[in-house]
This record gives sequence, C-alpha cells and structure tokens, in this order.
Amino acid sequence: MSERNSYDGTNRAETTSTDGGTERDEPAASDGGAVVARERPLGLPRWVAAVLPVILLVVVLAAFFLANPFAALESGGEPLPDVTVSYASLPNDETIVLHVTNNGPSEVTVSQVLVGEAYWDFSVEGSGGDATLAPLETARIVIPYHWQPGWDVETALILSDGATVHHTIVAPQVSPGLSGSVLLTLAVVGVFVGVIPVVLGMLWFPFLQSMSDRALHAVLAFSAGILVFLAIDAGIEAVELTESIPGAFDGLILVVLGVVGSLLLVQSISAWRRGRAEAGDSRASSGLWVAYLVAVGIGLHNLAEGLAIGSSFALGRVSLGAFLVLGFMLHNVTEGPAVVAPVARGSRPALGHFVALGAIAGAPVILGGWIGSLAFSPTLGALFLAIGVGAILQVVFELRGLVGRQGRVGTALNLVTFLVGVVVMYVTDLFVAV
Amino acid sequence: MTSLDYDRAAALTDRLQSRLVDGIAGDEGVTRRAVLGGLGVAGGAALAGLGSAEDSPGVSGGHGDSTHGDFGTKGEYADLDFDPHGFLTTFNTGRDGQENVPQDVYRETVDGVERTVREFTLTAVDTTVAIAPGIEFPAWSYNGQVPGPTLRAVEGDLIRVEFENLGRHAHTIHPHLRNLAPRMDGIPQNGPGVLDTGESFTYEWIAQPAGVHLYHCHSLPLKEHIHRGLYGAMVVDPDPERVRERPEDYCGFHASQVTPELRAELVARAESRNHGSDANDDVQELVIVMNSFDTDFDGGNEVYAANTRAFAYGVGETNGKGEWEPGETVRPIQVDGGRPVRVYLVNATEFDLINSFHTHSQFFDYYDHGTTLLPTSKNVDTVMQCQAQRGVIELDYSTHDPGLYMFHAHQSEFAELGWMSFFEVV
Repeated sequence: MSERNSYDGTNRAETTSTDGGTERDEPAASDGGAVVARERPLGLPRWVAAVLPVILLVVVLAAFFLANPFAALESGGEPLPDVTVSYASLPNDETIVLHVTNNGPSEVTVSQVLVGEAYWDFSVEGSGGDATLAPLETARIVIPYHWQPGWDVETALILSDGATVHHTIVAPQVSPGLSGSVLLTLAVVGVFVGVIPVVLGMLWFPFLQSMSDRALHAVLAFSAGILVFLAIDAGIEAVELTESIPGAFDGLILVVLGVVGSLLLVQSISAWRRGRAEAGDSRASSGLWVAYLVAVGIGLHNLAEGLAIGSSFALGRVSLGAFLVLGFMLHNVTEGPAVVAPVARGSRPALGHFVALGAIAGAPVILGGWIGSLAFSPTLGALFLAIGVGAILQVVFELRGLVGRQGRVGTALNLVTFLVGVVVMYVTDLFVAV
Repeated sequence: MTSLDYDRAAALTDRLQSRLVDGIAGDEGVTRRAVLGGLGVAGGAALAGLGSAEDSPGVSGGHGDSTHGDFGTKGEYADLDFDPHGFLTTFNTGRDGQENVPQDVYRETVDGVERTVREFTLTAVDTTVAIAPGIEFPAWSYNGQVPGPTLRAVEGDLIRVEFENLGRHAHTIHPHLRNLAPRMDGIPQNGPGVLDTGESFTYEWIAQPAGVHLYHCHSLPLKEHIHRGLYGAMVVDPDPERVRERPEDYCGFHASQVTPELRAELVARAESRNHGSDANDDVQELVIVMNSFDTDFDGGNEVYAANTRAFAYGVGETNGKGEWEPGETVRPIQVDGGRPVRVYLVNATEFDLINSFHTHSQFFDYYDHGTTLLPTSKNVDTVMQCQAQRGVIELDYSTHDPGLYMFHAHQSEFAELGWMSFFEVV
C-alpha cells in the first residue's frame, strides 16, 4: 500500500511540474484520505473496530490460561479459606440453621461442626448435596441441637484443612419462620407503623395550605431536617451492616454504590422532569413532582425500615410491643407533612394523588417486612438502606430548590426548624430501636 | 369448688404450666409471666369442671431423639493408611511388628555386657493425618504415623534406633528412659544435637526401668514439635529373673520386708507383663496414646483423641435411644470379657495441663509409669496424667454383662471433642 502511495507520489510529482491544476488537487485528495480513515480505521469496517479490542482481550486471556506465564510466582501456597456465617435461624428449639457463604477464591468443605466445643451431627443443605461450597456459594448448615432460649450457643465450623469459623448465637429465640400468618402479621405491622402514620401526617395538608410562605418554608425546612436525619441514620446502619456482609461482596463499596447510584438515578429523573417542564408540560413543573420524589425517598427509607422489622422478626429478635408500634407511629407521622408540603401552594392536587403519595411513602414498610422475613441477608439490607440514603439526599436538594425559588433558604426560622426536624427524629428514634 | 383438693390442684397446675410454657416457647407475642399468671385459674377450673385434663397424655419434656444423645463427629474416615484399631495391639519387638518399621533382634556384647539388641529404623517424615472425618492435619511423624510406632523391649535390652530425618525441620528422638549416656538423650544440647533434613544418627538406650514410656522429638519449639505428632510409646517389659533377684525394686517394700509369697507374686506379675512369657498371651494388651491437635493455631485444641482419631473407638451410628451400629472405621474396641485387659496409657496432649482416663461401670488398678508391679492406685475409675505421664491400667470385665462400656477423658470438653471411646465386651 505504501509502495503504491509512493508510486502515486512520484507520479504526481511528475504531473505537478507540468500542470498547476493538479497542484490544487493535492490537498483535496489528502482530505479525502482523512475521511476514509475516520470511517474505515486501518481499512476495517466500523463494527470490526468496535469488536477488535474485545476479541484481542479474549485471545490474550486464552493465551494466559494456556501458557500460565505466572507459574514462577506460584509458591505452592493456597489462598486462605474465607467463610462467613451471615446469620443463624432457629426454626424450633431442636434445630440450629447456620447460613454460610464461601467468600474465598477456592472451594471449601465443611467437614465437621462444633456446638459448644463438642462435635455434633449436622447436614448441609443448598450446596448440591455435598458439604463443599464453591466460591460465592451459600448453604445452610442444619444442626439438630436442643438449645435453650436465652442461653448463648457457640458454634464453629471446621473446614477440611482444620480452619475454624466461629459464630455465636446470642440469646437465642425461635425464629417464627415463614407462614401465611407471619406474612399477614407483617402486613398489619406495616400498615400500623408505615401507612397509617404517613397518612395521618398528610392530614396536615389543609393546615399547610393556610400557612404563610414564611411558615410553609419553615415546614419544608423541618421536612428536610427529618430527611437528613433519616439519611444519616440509615447511612450509619448500612455501614454497620457491612460488617456482616460476606467479604467477597465488598460491603462498603456496595453501600457507596447504592448511595451514589440512587442519588444519580433520582437526580436524572428530576432532570428529565425539569426538561419536560421547560418544554411546557405544566404537570411536570408543579410541586407535585417534588412531592412524589419526597414520597419515593421516604418510601425507600421505609422499605429499609420494613426490612429491619422483617428480618428481626425472622430471627426471633423483635418484640413488637405496643410501645414499639407507638414509637414507629410517632416517628413516621412526621413524614406525612414532609410529603405534602411541596404541594401546599397552587391548586390542590386530585385526591388520587394523595392516596398514591401515601402508598408510595408508607406501604414499602409492608414490602420490606416481607422481603426481610423471607430472604434476609445483610447484603440486601445494606443495599436497600444505601439506596434510601441516596434518594433522600437528592430529595433534600430538591426541597432546597423549592424553597429557594420562592424565598431565601438560610433564614433563622428555616435553620431552626431544620434543626427541630433532626431533633424530633432523634427523639422519636429512641423509641424504635429494633 | 368446695371439694377442691389443693394438692391436686397445685400438681395439675404445675403440669399445665409446663405444658403451656413448652407450647408457647419461642412465641414472641406472649410473655412467660403472662402465661403463668393465667394458669392458677386454669388449674382450678380444670379440676372443678374439666376433669379431662387429667386423662391427656403426659407432658412431653420436649427432648427430641437425636438432639441430646448423638454428639460426635459426622461420617467415616476416608484415609485408611492408619488403622487406630490395629495400632492398639501392634508392638514392634524387633522380632515382629509393622512392615513399615524395619527391625531386627540379635545378641551383642555392649560395653562388656552381653545384651539382647532390638534394632528399629525410625524415619521422621512430614505427612498428613486424618484427625476427624474429613479433617486433615499436617503432621510431622515417625514413620508416617501419629502416634509413632510402639516399641517394645525387655528390661536390660539395648534399644538401637537408626534414626533418619527426612522431614523439612530438624528433629531428634528423646527417650523417657533411665539413659546413662548424655549423648543419647536426643536433645539439641547433647550428642549430635538436632538432626537436619537428610541427617541420621543411631540412638542406643538401655531399656530401663520396666514400664510404659514415651519417646518424642526434643527440637525447639518444643510445643510445635510435640503437638505436630513426633511422639510414640515404648513398653519395657519387666524381666522375671531380675524381679526374682531384686523384688524390692518393683514394690514399695524394703528388701527385708519381701516375703517369699510377695516375691512369687511379683514374679508372676512380671511374667504377665513380659511379652516373651506364656502368661502374657492371656492378657489383651492395648496401647492408648492420648493426644490432641490444634488446627487453627490458637493454642487450643480442636481435636482430642485416643490414638489421634476423634471418636475412632466410638459406636458409629446411634439413635440416642440405646441402639447402635458399628461403623466401618468408627467402632468400639472389642474385648473378650473372660480375659484381663491391660492398657498402656501415655499422655502426649499438648496445650492442656492434664488429661485423664475414666471408665464407666468399672474400677481398675493403676500402675503409674508402669514401673512397679504393685498398683500405685487400687480400685479407681479415673486417673489423670500430665503431659508425658503414663501408666498401666488393668481391667477385669469377667463379671460384667456383655455390651458397651464407655471410657473417656473426664474433661467433658476433651470427651466431646473426640476423646470418647467404648469397650464392647463380648
């Protein structure tokens, strides 16, 4: 190809000497060449250029596995086994079930099980019939053991190489397990701690409507305080939960991903909405959108709250006394005005919107309760909490914008009511330590 | 309510109470106090009008079948290189013993004294041993087994051990004998010191005193070298002729106190202990080395055992209701109830201060270190030993019914971590 070019070049050099017109042709021809290069890199079709790096990667990987060029680095050492007991469930007082995950890069075999420093009978379920767990595989270790309520049980798994994995079940109680009545109970609990207080809180709407701008902004600041508290609270809880997340999932990164991811997602919805509003969609410009965003944020938070209740329930770790329900109601009733405050100006939205807002904000407690009791895992719990944090943070920015469009954000009254919102949540939170 | 019998009411209330409390155990919605509070009334009402409560089946304690009676390791041993049942009765005498222990016996004049020489070849090798079903322990061993081969000689013999170290660390063999030559002590500071990989040395020890003894590696760190498996038992049989000549050496009496009857008794006991005499053939002799293994480097043991394998002399399968089946590798030690049983017991447990041996439904005579022919403890069912302590236990099951008789360490923790065994008297 280059030969032909050079031939062309010499050929052209000859012609230029005779014809000035061809001299003008020269840059045009090279321009044309540049265009070809953009469309056909190295003369290849575009799709080939897109796929080529992937193909080369596959080739290199294949060569790597075939040739094993790192053989010299292998010292004969094996990766350390890494097994986590995520949690224990106690279906009855004769049985202990340990939920284990293999986080390590190689498979492990659970050869023996100790309960209270004694070898004990056991069976492994959910790992394909054997006691060997592939990387990231989870299994249930079922131990027939007559434990006593309230007396800690110390368990240990002994892997085939003698490594031990210890797990202490503190103050064991029977886990209610799964049944229709449990799901119904959780739904009732969800209605009481989630839906009812939020809906009651929303009944402040007419009062909010009658408020002056100044007072309404203070209420919005109060809502922001509530949300910020929820974000901080859920964030701390998510980070705490990461400690029991199997190492392979890299819990802390997962939490950060959840926060940032949901923040960006809700922000992109919000930006889309603004785009629509600028394009003249009147519905998109109303405070109703903000109200829905607040409801979504609070709903995500309540989903995590439901997860906590459900999993505590599943682990036999909660006493849903009247006091706890009362605490939840006080805690969540403040979320009602936060949802409806953004629509307190302008025309009152249709009643259906209020129902939807209430359902979005409150009902996830029920859903969370079910998920938590069905398939609780610290990984899932931390992820939901983190998603809630991101969503709430975005909503706080949204509220700030709402106030800022109509007045000054940082007034003394707004700051104080913001603080009051945080303090109220802190105080009511004391009642609901699950 | 006038005919109410308060004692019966109280008893019934108790029964109802326990039944109800059992019934609601774990029910989070009801507190125990609330249930108990309502029960006095229920008991009275049941007596007064609802007599049927008396007829209902007895209150269940709630104890299941296998959750209380079936502890122990799960499964069978896959590694058949080492047979703990064979180990019990395998003695290397120079004349006969294990195939993997090259040995010989011959007469030789050593330092002007003609002695029987019992020559063994011991080799230190790194290996893995199964210490519980599915659990492999990276061991350092004599001749590939833990405990090492049991050596047996007669008092006054010369034990000659051709030792070669093929392990990756430096090792020795230190004998718990009355050894008169410092260079043969098998410690880093004497004789050849520690033997590095590929080095060899011939240890020579006079077999004395009579008894059951220990040999082990004395390289440092000592804890590591012992608990990784470098130990074994040595049995030195009393020489009946020497016992006849010096009976005072084998009992707590002064020579002037030894009556002809006692002398004859001691000689008879020496013959019973001496593997060369016919009287020994009648005795069922077993070697049990109590040992332990720390698999996770925390200075505490995950497995305790009689002869390395957790529960190897357990029952196999049991329903916890008195029925059992022997397993392939896990099964009781069968003994003939009509013949005496002698256990050579050695404690090689590392990390714990003591270990112990306890027999169910049986009392025995114990000869500490086996160096006397009259028991040092008579009629006991439990003895304890510190590390390296050992002794001879003589058991008599002649009047026991056939069946299972448990024996184990009476540190419950050790028992539940593997040192729990059975004699099956047949």
